[in-house]
Amino acid sequence: MKQKSWHINRREFIRGGGAVLALPFLQGMSWGKAAAGKALPKRMVVSYIAYGVYEPKTKDGSHHDWNWWPCKDAGPLTFNQSAAPFAPLKDSVSYLRGLEHAGGVGMGGHSSGDVFATGANMSGTEKTNNISVDQLAAKVSGHQTRYASLVLGTEGGTGSYGSAKTLSHYGPGRPIPSMHRPQEIFNRLFKPYSGKGIEQVRADLKREASVLDLMMEDSRRLQGRLGKEDQQKMEEYLDSVRALEKRVERTSQWTHQPLSNVDTKGLNLEVSHKDPEEYTRCMYDLLYLALQTDSTRFATLMLESEHSSGSEMWNYANYVLGYKGATHDIAHKRPTESGKWDNWRAKQHAYFLERLRNTPEGDSNMLDQTVVVWGSAHPHASHNTRNYPIQVAGGDALGFKHGNLYCFEGDRKVPLANLFVSMLHAVDVPVKSFADSTGSMAGVLV
Amino acid sequence: MLNPKSLKFFWGIATFPLLILLWVGKVNADTSFKGEVAPFFEAYCVKCHGPKKSKGKITLHSLDGDLAAGQELKRWELILDALEHRDMPPEEEENQPSAEDRAAIITWIESGLRDYVTKASKVALVTTTRRLTNFEYQNTMRDLLGFELELAKDLPVDPDKPYHFNNTAEFMMIGPDQLVRYKEAARKAMASAIVDPGKPEIHRVSSKWEHGKPGKDGLSQAEIGVYQGPGVGRKTVGLKNWPKTGEFRIRVNASGNFPAGFREVPLRLVMGTDLRHDSGSGVYREVGIVHLSNTPDNPGEFEVLGRIENIPVQPASKHRNKIRPPSITITAQNIFDNGELNDHRKSAFDASWSVKAPRVVLESLEFEAPVAAAWPPEHHRRILFESPLRHTKTGEYAYEVIKRFMTRAFRRPVAKDEIDHYYRIYKIYDAEFDTLEQAMRETLAMALISPQFLYHTVIDQAAATKPYELASRLSYFLWGSMPDKELFNLAASGNLDDPAVIENQTRRLLADKRAAGFIENFTSQWLSIAKMKTVSINRDLFPRFLYTVHVGERRGQEQLFRPTIRDYMHEETVGFVGELIRNNASVMNIVDSDFAYLNEPLAVHYGVGGVEGLKLRPVTIKPEHHLGGLLTQGSVLVGNSTGSAPHPIYRAVWVREAILGDKVKPPPAEVPALSDSAGDSADGAVSIKDLLALHRNTPSCYDCHVRLDPWGIPFERYSAIGKFQPLVPSDKVRVRGFNHKLDKTFAGYQAYLKSIYTEEVDASSRVPHGPAVDGMQKLKKYLLKERKAEIAENVIRKLMTYSIGRELTYRDRFEVKKLLQLAQEDGYKLQDMIVSVCQSPIFTGTISKEE
Repeated sequence: MKQKSWHINRREFIRGGGAVLALPFLQGMSWGKAAAGKALPKRMVVSYIAYGVYEPKTKDGSHHDWNWWPCKDAGPLTFNQSAAPFAPLKDSVSYLRGLEHAGGVGMGGHSSGDVFATGANMSGTEKTNNISVDQLAAKVSGHQTRYASLVLGTEGGTGSYGSAKTLSHYGPGRPIPSMHRPQEIFNRLFKPYSGKGIEQVRADLKREASVLDLMMEDSRRLQGRLGKEDQQKMEEYLDSVRALEKRVERTSQWTHQPLSNVDTKGLNLEVSHKDPEEYTRCMYDLLYLALQTDSTRFATLMLESEHSSGSEMWNYANYVLGYKGATHDIAHKRPTESGKWDNWRAKQHAYFLERLRNTPEGDSNMLDQTVVVWGSAHPHASHNTRNYPIQVAGGDALGFKHGNLYCFEGDRKVPLANLFVSMLHAVDVPVKSFADSTGSMAGVLV
Repeated sequence: MLNPKSLKFFWGIATFPLLILLWVGKVNADTSFKGEVAPFFEAYCVKCHGPKKSKGKITLHSLDGDLAAGQELKRWELILDALEHRDMPPEEEENQPSAEDRAAIITWIESGLRDYVTKASKVALVTTTRRLTNFEYQNTMRDLLGFELELAKDLPVDPDKPYHFNNTAEFMMIGPDQLVRYKEAARKAMASAIVDPGKPEIHRVSSKWEHGKPGKDGLSQAEIGVYQGPGVGRKTVGLKNWPKTGEFRIRVNASGNFPAGFREVPLRLVMGTDLRHDSGSGVYREVGIVHLSNTPDNPGEFEVLGRIENIPVQPASKHRNKIRPPSITITAQNIFDNGELNDHRKSAFDASWSVKAPRVVLESLEFEAPVAAAWPPEHHRRILFESPLRHTKTGEYAYEVIKRFMTRAFRRPVAKDEIDHYYRIYKIYDAEFDTLEQAMRETLAMALISPQFLYHTVIDQAAATKPYELASRLSYFLWGSMPDKELFNLAASGNLDDPAVIENQTRRLLADKRAAGFIENFTSQWLSIAKMKTVSINRDLFPRFLYTVHVGERRGQEQLFRPTIRDYMHEETVGFVGELIRNNASVMNIVDSDFAYLNEPLAVHYGVGGVEGLKLRPVTIKPEHHLGGLLTQGSVLVGNSTGSAPHPIYRAVWVREAILGDKVKPPPAEVPALSDSAGDSADGAVSIKDLLALHRNTPSCYDCHVRLDPWGIPFERYSAIGKFQPLVPSDKVRVRGFNHKLDKTFAGYQAYLKSIYTEEVDASSRVPHGPAVDGMQKLKKYLLKERKAEIAENVIRKLMTYSIGRELTYRDRFEVKKLLQLAQEDGYKLQDMIVSVCQSPIFTGTISKEE
C-alpha cells in the first residue's frame, strides 16, 4: 500500500492549539503534495459482543477449558480451548481482568452495552450517553482520512436508551446510527460519487454548499418562530445541517485525492444473517478494507446488541451451532455449547486480527499500527455488570505491550476508562482523562 | 354521540367510586398532610421506603406534602397508583390500612394533583416537536408523490423498545447521518416523481410454457408444484434491461390444477436477486398474490403493478473472466400451504407431494415497463402541472410549482418568505441545469429535507392556523401519513375542531384502507409481538411448525423466501384488532372473543376445522378450541416462549404490560438469574413452576416475582408454539425429538407424544389480590370480572400515547379518567374509544380553560 504523508505535523499542531476539545474541525488544513516525514496511520477499533461470556470453574481449581479467559493466572498467556483461535496471535494480544465502567453498573446487563465505548454515567449523573472513545479520536484526528470514522453494527440504527445498536456517539444525546448492510457500507466507503465524474461531483458539492447555507438560514428563521421547547428540538436539526455543511466541505477537499480502488472480489455483499459466519466475516472484511485503504482510522463494530430478540442475531447460536434456543439463552443456560459459542466468536475476531497482522505496513504490519478492543459490558450469566471480558490487541508500534493476562482486582482496581485514555494517547489524542478515568495504563500495558 | 356535552354529563353523574371520591376531594379539608397523610406513610410505608430502606428507589419520608408547589409530582402519582391498585403495602404485609384510610389518602393526593394540574395546564401543555418515524415518512412520501416508493429501508433503522411506542420525541431524533439519508431519499423520490421530457423506451420480456403432457415428475412444463425450497415449486423469468424509474406491469395467464378436495391455489410473484437456498442469500420484494380457483380449461389473465425502483437488483459480477451484467429475476411461486407440508416427508424432498397437492398452471408471463395511462404520468403532472405559463413566464410558473408542492409537503398553507426561500434555491439550480425538470427535482428535494417536512406539523403562526395541526394529528394517528384533501379543506374552513366533525373524520379515516398501516404499527408496538418472528423454534420437538429445507447445505433449516406460519400469526393479531376497530366491538374482546382471525395454516395449527385458503378472515370458534382474545394467539404465546417451552415470566410481563398497563421493571443488575430458563423443563427436568418457586425464595427476587409469576402460570397449558397442550410427560420421562426412522410420519410422532403425555399441566396460581385461577379460561374470567376498568384504561392510555407521540404524565390523569368513564357507559366499544381520544383536549391541544 502506498503511504500517505501529511503537510502538517500533528503533534505540533495540537500543542499550539491548546485544549484538545477546543480544536476546530481542522478543515482549513490543506492537502499538500510535499511529504513531511513518513508517518504511518495510527488506528483504533472497538468491537462488541453481547450476552456475556462463559466463565465456568472446575472442581480441582484448574482453569476450565471452555472459560472465555485464556488462562487462570496473571502473567504470560496460555490458551485454553475457548481462546485457542488467538494462540497464533499470542504476542499481539492481552487480556484485562477486573475492568468495568462504574457508570454502567446500575444499568443492568442488558443495558450497560450502551456505555461500553463511552463510559458515560447513565445510571448516575448523566441523563444521556456521552462521546465515545472513537469519536473523540475522530474529532481530533479524523480529518486525516476521507471519513472521520466508521460506525458499524449488525442490526443497524441507533437503538434506544438501554438497548443501543451502536457503540458510537458524537456527544450527549447524539448517537450515531450504525450501518449493517454490507452492500451499503461498501458503496458509502468506496463508491461515494455513485459513478459521477469528478468535475461533476465538485460542481454538485459547490452548489450543495450554497443551498445548505440557505437551508440553514431558513431553518433559523423557523426556529425563531417556535416555542421554547420546540426551539430546543430544532437545535438538533440545525446541528445536523451544520455538520452536513462541514461534510460537504470535507468531501470537496477529498475530491482532490484519488478514490481507493477496491473491487468486490471475494466479498459476498448480499450475504444475509442466515449465514452468520459469512456475514460476520464480510463485516470484518469491510472494516479491514476501510482501514487498509486508509479511508478511516477509527471504527466501532457492534457485533451483537444486548437486545436482539427482534433480529436474526437471536438465532445466531442456532445457525452456527444448531443450539436449540435463542442466542441470549446460551448465556443464561450455560450449556456445553456456551464454550463453543465463545470459541466461534473468538474465531471471527481472530480472523480479523490475523488479516491486519498479515498486511505489511512500514517495517511491520497493520496490526501493530492498530489498537483493537474486543469485549462486552455484560460479562456473564447473571446480568452482572462488573468485571467485563476485555481483550486488547495490536498497537505495538503505538506503545502497547502484549502477551499477558493482567488482573486489576482488589487494590489494583482501576476504571476501564483508563484503558481508553491510553488508547487515545496511542492515536495522538493527548487527553488527560476520559469519562471516569483515574489515569492511564502507562507502565502496565504501554 | 360522543361530544363534550356528553362528556360533562357523564362526569356529572359519575358512578365510578374513585371519581366520586375525587369530586368530593376539594371540599374534603379534613384530611391534611400533617394530620393524616404523614402518619399514614409512617405507619405503612416508611419501613421499606424511608431513610433506612428504599425499595424500588422510592422513599416517602422526605415528601413535604405541598403538591401545589409542583414538586415531586411524579413520585406522588406513583404513590397514588400503588395505593389505588392495592399494590402497596404488599399483600403479605400484616399491617394493612383500613379501606377508609386508604380511600382518604387517595382522595387527598388526587385532589392535590388535580388542583395543580388545573392551574398548570393554563401555563403550558404542548406536544413536543418530533420527526416523522420511518413508517410515517414512508407513508407521507407515498401520499405526497402518489405512488409507493420504498424509501424508509435506506434510512437508519428507527429505535425500538419493547412495550413502547417509538414515535415519541425522545426516540425521534435527527443527526447528521439521518439527514444525509433523508437527502438521498428525497433525491431518489424526485428522480422518480418528475420524468424527463420525451417518450421513454418501453422494455418488454415475455415467456410461455406448454401445458401439455406431464413430465417425469408428473408435472407439465407449465405446472408449478408446491414451493418447497431449492429449485422446487417455482418458475423464473430473468430481466436484463429495465428503465431506471417507472411503473411496471406483469401479466400472467394462469389457472389451477386441483386434485379432488382442493379448490384454491395461491400464485405469488416476487422480484429481486437470485434466491439462493444454499447460502440463504437473496433479497426480493413480493409484487402480488393471485388466489387461483379457475381451471386450465378456463385460463384467466391476471395483472400486477409495481414500481421498478423498489426491486432489488442483482449487481454485475465476474465469473471466470466473464462479466455477468446486472439482472432482476421474476419468480412465480406456488405458496400453497395447508399446514401439513412437513407431515409426509422423509429425509429428502418427496416429489409425490407436488402431484397430490394443487398446482399452479402458468402458461405465460409478460413484463412491461414503464407503463402509464398517459405520458408524462399523472404523478409528474401533479407537480409540473399543465400550464401555458410554463413556456411564457417560466419564473412565475416555477414559483407556482414550488408553492403548490410545498403546501402539500408542509401539510399547511405556506408563508411568502417560505416560498421565496425555495425560489432562491431554484434559481441556483436553474442557473446550472439545462431543463426545468432537473432544477425542480433538486429544489423540491430540498423542501423534503426541511424541518417543516421532516417534523410533525408545528404551526408557524405566520403561515397558517392551528386547525392544520389538528388535521395532521388526526391523519398521522389514524393513517401514519399526511392529511388528504378533505382534512385540508376542513382545516381551511375552520370547522375541524368541532367535536362532531372530529367524530365524522375519525370514523372516515378508520374506514379508509390507509388505516391498515395504523392498525399494524400500533398493534405490533402495543403488544410487542415483533420478537415472535425470531424466537428460535426447537424443530425436533415441533417438527411441523416451521417448513424446513430437506436437502443441501441448509438442510434442517427453515425454508426461505416464502410466507411462514409466523407471518400469518402476525397478520392474525393485527387482523383481529382491525376487526374490533372496524366493527366497533367491545375492547373486552382482547381478553376473550367468540371469533378468531384465521386462514388455513393457522386453523390447522390451532385445531380448528373447515377453514380453506390463505386469506385470513374471522372464524367463529367453540370452547373446545381454547382460543379467543389476544392471550391465546400465537404471536403472543410464541413470542413469549423459549422456542422449546412456555416462558411464564415473559408471558406474565406481557399480560401486565400489554393488557393491564403496568410497568414491569427489568431484572435489576446484580441479581442471580433464574438458574435455568424453561427449555430444560420441556426436556423433562424440573417443572418451571418449581423453578420459579425456588427463585422466589431468594429474598432479592421475591419482591418482584411475587407480583409477576402468578400471571404467567395460567398460560402453562399453551406450548411454546402456541398450541393448547394440557398434558405433559412426567418428570422422569425425557421427550425425544422427531425421528424419521422411528416415527415415519408426523402422525407417528404425534402417537408417540400421546403415549408419554400423561401428566396434567399445573396451571394454577393465585393472582395478587385475587382468587386462585387454574388455567387460561379462569384467568380470562377473572380479568373480565375484576379488571375491566384497568384493561380499558390501559387501551385508552396506549391509544392516547401513540396518538400524541409522548408519554402520558400525571397531568393527563384526569382526562384519561374521563375517557374511561365514557367508555364504561358506552360498553367499551373500541372505535368509539378512538373517537373519544381524538376529541379529548389532550389530543386536540386545546386543554379546557374553564376549570
